[in-house]
Amino acid sequence: MFCIKTDIFYLYLEVDDLQATPAYQIDPQAVSYWRWSGLINSIIFWMMVLAYYNTMNLWNPPGWIFPALLIAAILGTIFYVFLVPQIRWNTWRYDVSEQEIDLYFGVFVKHRTLIPMVRVQHVDTEQGPLLRYFQLSTVTISTAAGKHQIPALADSVAAELRARISLLARVVDEDV
Amino acid sequence: MYEPHRLHPAAILEFLITNIYKLVQAMLPLMLLALGNSVIRKWLIVILPLMLLCFIIYGALYWLRYVYYIQDHELRLEFGVIVRKKRYISFERIQTVQVSAGVIQRLFGLVKLQVETAGSGSNAELSLPAVSRAKAEALQMILQNTTGFKSAVANEEDLQQFQLTTPALLLLGSTSNSLGLVLAGMLTIISQLDKLIPGENIWERFSEYAGQVLSETVGTILLILVAVFLLAWLLSLLGNIILFGGFSLKRDGDNLKISRGLLEKKQLTIPIRRIQAVRLVEGILRQPLGMVSIKVVTISNTGEKGEGNVIMPIIALSEAEDFLRKVVPEFYVSLDTEPLPLRSRIRYIAINLIPALVMVILASYFLPYGYLSLILLPLALGLGKIQYRDAGLKVQDGIMLIRSRTLGRVSTIIPRPKIQSLSITYTYFQARNTLTTLKISIASGTVATWVKLVGMDENRSLVISQWFSRSLG
Repeated sequence: MFCIKTDIFYLYLEVDDLQATPAYQIDPQAVSYWRWSGLINSIIFWMMVLAYYNTMNLWNPPGWIFPALLIAAILGTIFYVFLVPQIRWNTWRYDVSEQEIDLYFGVFVKHRTLIPMVRVQHVDTEQGPLLRYFQLSTVTISTAAGKHQIPALADSVAAELRARISLLARVVDEDV
Repeated sequence: MYEPHRLHPAAILEFLITNIYKLVQAMLPLMLLALGNSVIRKWLIVILPLMLLCFIIYGALYWLRYVYYIQDHELRLEFGVIVRKKRYISFERIQTVQVSAGVIQRLFGLVKLQVETAGSGSNAELSLPAVSRAKAEALQMILQNTTGFKSAVANEEDLQQFQLTTPALLLLGSTSNSLGLVLAGMLTIISQLDKLIPGENIWERFSEYAGQVLSETVGTILLILVAVFLLAWLLSLLGNIILFGGFSLKRDGDNLKISRGLLEKKQLTIPIRRIQAVRLVEGILRQPLGMVSIKVVTISNTGEKGEGNVIMPIIALSEAEDFLRKVVPEFYVSLDTEPLPLRSRIRYIAINLIPALVMVILASYFLPYGYLSLILLPLALGLGKIQYRDAGLKVQDGIMLIRSRTLGRVSTIIPRPKIQSLSITYTYFQARNTLTTLKISIASGTVATWVKLVGMDENRSLVISQWFSRSLG
């Protein structure tokens, strides 16, 4: 593996290989889903700000808190309804090969995660009410050390992926 | 072992005491209230013995129903008086076997045997509170011989055995983290002492007395400080001697056998293949002395955090490599690492210096004598520098060594098959400098352990993920 020191050409070839992001993107509907869930969260936050504004006179908090909350609410809404969903969708990539699961995602911090197939303990698909409306599902992959998710895949794709991973993960390897 | 066995009758006493303890714990506030009422107090004379009788009967029935045996490669337990339960644990699922002896067990010359699996929850999956030593040993033999491979080592002398010498034990107690805890606890108590003992002003009395001896306030303060430190040191020493007195570690075939403890003797068997990672921890007090403690990460739920997974409480760093080679050769690597690129040095410093700077500004603005906090700046700078210097990583023979420091220096050794997942992350700013953060997850009970190395060169981290990857490599 330490060809790095002797053979620079080889290294760059391999590194290029790795830098190529995984092949598949998640469902384009995910953008709308994230916009809506962002909107719902913003509404809840706005209601809290409103509640704070109405009760502000009952106890005497420092004057700068309300403007700060207001700015946070405005920025939060802009970010999570208008900006982040599109960026998140543009970044998300995944690939499931026979040997491992390869994930690439992140808005502010980019993540590239490799999960060996032999380490997968089980795989679930789940769907909340909002995801159901868009006919999307989230695939959750569990290892002995926590969970990884592929969010917002079309129902059929998610089901197929779950079946495929659980089949591939059945390979018995060195035990945990 | 293959036919059903009961526990030693002393188990009744153990059940009785645990049940009463549980009841008292749950009912204590109510009982205190009841004691205030004279009518209830009269009734208590009748009720208490009656309750005790009920508990004894229940304990005896529980003992009668508590049956264990081995069948079909499973350890089986049947128990329960009102609700009958059967618990079968297949040998493959067993993570560790722990043998200990509390006061009751010692009284009857018995031991308590606990079997842990990787399941969630905070209690041992299967506990045999009172069995004879011979039975415990026979049981352990069966479990080991069927779970692990047969012991390759024939005679006792070939086994690698490590013990804790008295000077090492003293050093352990004197440099333990518990020293700080005890100190903090004592200072809290001292500051509350006036309130605890009403009507007396202890501090005035004390300084009067000390004043006669030293006749100076500075002297008094010094005297108190020295006394507090001495007491804290003694307590920490005592605590560590109780926990680790009589420590011995043995590599026996495919198991690590640890026994320790002065008051309660504990014996712990850890199958090697259950060990996920080995960690070398150099605390800030120990590192200057060149001492290190060695721990293991296993999947278990009863493992007390802190001392439970220590396989060598204290050892010289220079002997650590030798220790690894002899005791856990599966985890042996030479302990040198490749340093991080120079361009991540400034980030290590900044990440310590900026919060310190904010704190100093706030303190100087709001607190009297706040400018004294300026001392934080060189400390933060120094910490950033050594954090950078100590951080590093190496891959050797399919084993990864990651070293980093928050305050104490921690080196984690993980074989490739034990890595559950590997992530490379980078922020916008890191990407501009072609730096990344490497994160590795290892299994450890209910919560995963993440091992992190910030500020790696991008190409280097890609080579690492190529080493890890099954399909890209």
